[in-house]
Amino acid sequence: MSVLRRIAGRLVVLAAVLLAVSFLTFAMLNVLGGDPALAIVGADNADPETLDQVREELGLNDSFLEQYTSWVGGVLEGDLGRSYKTKQPVAEAIGERVPVTAQVGLLAIVLALVLAVPLAVWTAYRSGTKVDKGASVATFGLLSIPNFLLAYWLGYLVSVQLGWLPRSGWVRLSADPVGNLKTALLPALSLAIAEMAVYTRILRSDIIQTLQEDYLLLARAKGLSTRRILFAHALRPSTLSLMTVIGVQFGALIGGSIIVEQIFALPGMGSYLLNAIYERDYIVVQGVVLVIAASFVIVNFAVDIAYRLLDPRIKV
Amino acid sequence: MTPLRRRLLAMLAILAVLLSACGGDDDDGATGPGDDSQASGEGVREAEEDAPDEGEPQYGGSITIGLEAETNGWLPGTSQPANAGYVVYSAIYDPLVARVEDGSIQPYLAESFEPNEDYTRWSFTLRDGITFHDGTALTAEVIKRNWDEYLTVDGANTKGALEGITVEVTGPLTYDYVLDKGDAAFLDTLTTTPGFPFSVEAAAAAGEDAGSRPVGTGPFVFESWTRDGQLVVTRNEGYWRTDEKGNQLPYLDRITFRPITDEDTRLDSVASGDIDLMQTLRQSIVRRAREVVDGGGFNSYEWLGNNGGAGIINTMKPPFDDVRVRQALVYAVDQEQMIEVLGGTGITPPQTQWFTEDSPWYSEAAADAWIPYDPDKAQELLDSYINDPERSDGQPVGTPIRFTYDCPPDPSLVELSQAYQAFWQQVGLEVNLDSKEQSAHITQGIGTENDPFLRADYDVQCWRLGSEADPYSVWNSAFGPVETEVLNVSDYTHPDITAKLEEMRLEGDLEARKALVEEISLILAEEVPNFWTGGTATAIVAREGVKGILSPTTPDGQEIDGAANAIIRTPFLWLAQ
Repeated sequence: MSVLRRIAGRLVVLAAVLLAVSFLTFAMLNVLGGDPALAIVGADNADPETLDQVREELGLNDSFLEQYTSWVGGVLEGDLGRSYKTKQPVAEAIGERVPVTAQVGLLAIVLALVLAVPLAVWTAYRSGTKVDKGASVATFGLLSIPNFLLAYWLGYLVSVQLGWLPRSGWVRLSADPVGNLKTALLPALSLAIAEMAVYTRILRSDIIQTLQEDYLLLARAKGLSTRRILFAHALRPSTLSLMTVIGVQFGALIGGSIIVEQIFALPGMGSYLLNAIYERDYIVVQGVVLVIAASFVIVNFAVDIAYRLLDPRIKV
Repeated sequence: MTPLRRRLLAMLAILAVLLSACGGDDDDGATGPGDDSQASGEGVREAEEDAPDEGEPQYGGSITIGLEAETNGWLPGTSQPANAGYVVYSAIYDPLVARVEDGSIQPYLAESFEPNEDYTRWSFTLRDGITFHDGTALTAEVIKRNWDEYLTVDGANTKGALEGITVEVTGPLTYDYVLDKGDAAFLDTLTTTPGFPFSVEAAAAAGEDAGSRPVGTGPFVFESWTRDGQLVVTRNEGYWRTDEKGNQLPYLDRITFRPITDEDTRLDSVASGDIDLMQTLRQSIVRRAREVVDGGGFNSYEWLGNNGGAGIINTMKPPFDDVRVRQALVYAVDQEQMIEVLGGTGITPPQTQWFTEDSPWYSEAAADAWIPYDPDKAQELLDSYINDPERSDGQPVGTPIRFTYDCPPDPSLVELSQAYQAFWQQVGLEVNLDSKEQSAHITQGIGTENDPFLRADYDVQCWRLGSEADPYSVWNSAFGPVETEVLNVSDYTHPDITAKLEEMRLEGDLEARKALVEEISLILAEEVPNFWTGGTATAIVAREGVKGILSPTTPDGQEIDGAANAIIRTPFLWLAQ
């Protein structure tokens, strides 16, 4: 019962967040300026009558609140609407693009963890040594490189100079799993490197703190191997902050994907959102933001659950 | 050396490689042709001069083309293709008419056309035996249904442009376009989406999805489309055209079009072999493409068209309603330095009018009349205005002129804005810079939310002006009535220009039209509703095995400029095995 109540509570939070986010997005788009009707008709073909007709047809002559409530009404009926510009149903377009963004994002997190966990454990164990200081310099350095710059560097080096991976484009997983991995690797790595640096910094600090615990001194005294102490006994209780950061960084990952998808020409949510903003395709922007906000809340809910799995003393 | 040190050195080595990759790019960018090459007259590398001897076309193979943008859909009436979209159009559709190298418009799907005396009726005859990809025939009735059911219906983006034009069928393959108002430049309209026939049967069957399932008469048949991902077409085995030697077109089996919006990524994708050819409309990329070509294995086909970088002036807003202030803005700026700021030195020449030297409409007299860089003259004109008790802005005598220059926040445009600001401040103008992203910038220039309608809402703005279309079409939009012409972004009208445009509307003789164009160009050089930042080069970049880029012709054998506007004409492409 209490689990159901907690889930219900989360759903209420989710609904409130989505409502607030969608309202703010709608308001910000209206403040931005630009004319969706002009974007739809095109400046070369625009004439006052056609522009007005398009505005009327799309409800753009209605007040801000009328437009917003009409959109919310559609969403409640399960209809995210059709793109002003392409006429494609927004839900269908999002469905096509989510796998691209999700796959790149997940791969980025996995790559970041695979690189960060051993590095964090090792530098925590060798805290204060030259290894630790060298890793600190490297992680701070990587953190300070914007991921779009990293994306260009990696693209130039790995694709143009070395010819190892494609510079642009996307192969669907169902069409060719190896080709898919090849197209996903560089974008994911561009996102993963900064994430890796963040994860390493957080996890290293927590492991250093954990290593001071009495039970680990006891483990050492009992003669357990260093590897076992670090990975079997110190790592797990040190990952709570890391989990929080993964949840919070999910937003940054989506932000980064908007740029990285452009740089690697991926047909994902990021490039879809960016083009929609440029073209003032409000209905698309609203739909994409809604999905991103929902996934952000859900991911953080999953992180809360993961806390409990990592430490049963915690109540979600 | 300890293992740790070795690892650290390895990390540093990787970082150094990454940094040199970036730095090398910057260095290369700084070592392009400088002032010397400009002085020696190096400009756009003419595609014709660079065309290799390509040999006999070969059949087969697949290529991937990188496009600068995605298009919203492929059904004329709702589709808004820019240069990138017309590359795909060239595969799926055929045009009724096409612009050839001398600038004239010639038949393509049409076998012939003939206007009546006052250009109110254009009689067309279609070629016989042409079918759409779904097997239905191209007939005059299809043209009429395209017109009535898709191009001129409410909500069609072509409706405004086609207002007052109807189609009358006169036979199975003959029909007339009937115009409310005669227009000698009417054929221009048919070089854009209304001139690309599509299967009405297929469009009707697809309903709302017609834009994503195009069916034309073109050399390739639509296979699939993932928006923002790729569009695939395959060879139309029953295509109606042959090349000049009677070989069946097209040569290729399959083409994949990939929108790659990031310019650097697109060029890198050609260089890395991900794609076979690409288009670009950015001169900074034209310059980078030269470096790729110089490295070997690639060709670049450059082209300089009429579309130029410009500044537009809000001529309805004081003090810019006074010609002295408008002229001073131009006298104060050294255009060659502005071109250098944009990275165009050695690629694009200064621009003096709406047409470049290669255009049939170019006027030497207008070029001579264009305002040169002369800050002293600018100062003199500004002093004259500022000290005029009747100055149009109503400010007290001696008050400096303050205004805002708007340009989108693209890095190169920010530099451009700062350069303009510096030049104008040297002659005492007080200039603020403002930046809005593209969509808001365009809306501000057009002024769609103002009262009266379409009155612009800026002082001075960067813009792009000019096209390959007939001067009447271009200028009728650019200098027609403010409240109806969306593209009159300078809000500028002039009785003499209006009168001469009216003459052009009904003037079919090319020389007489050229004379009128020159007269209007001279008025514009004096009245300055806009000024020029420089020409804009475009390029098609291809790996060496891709051939046929410069080979397009009409069915009657007239040559089409294959590099024009970086619109790749797919029917003629082939791969050297």
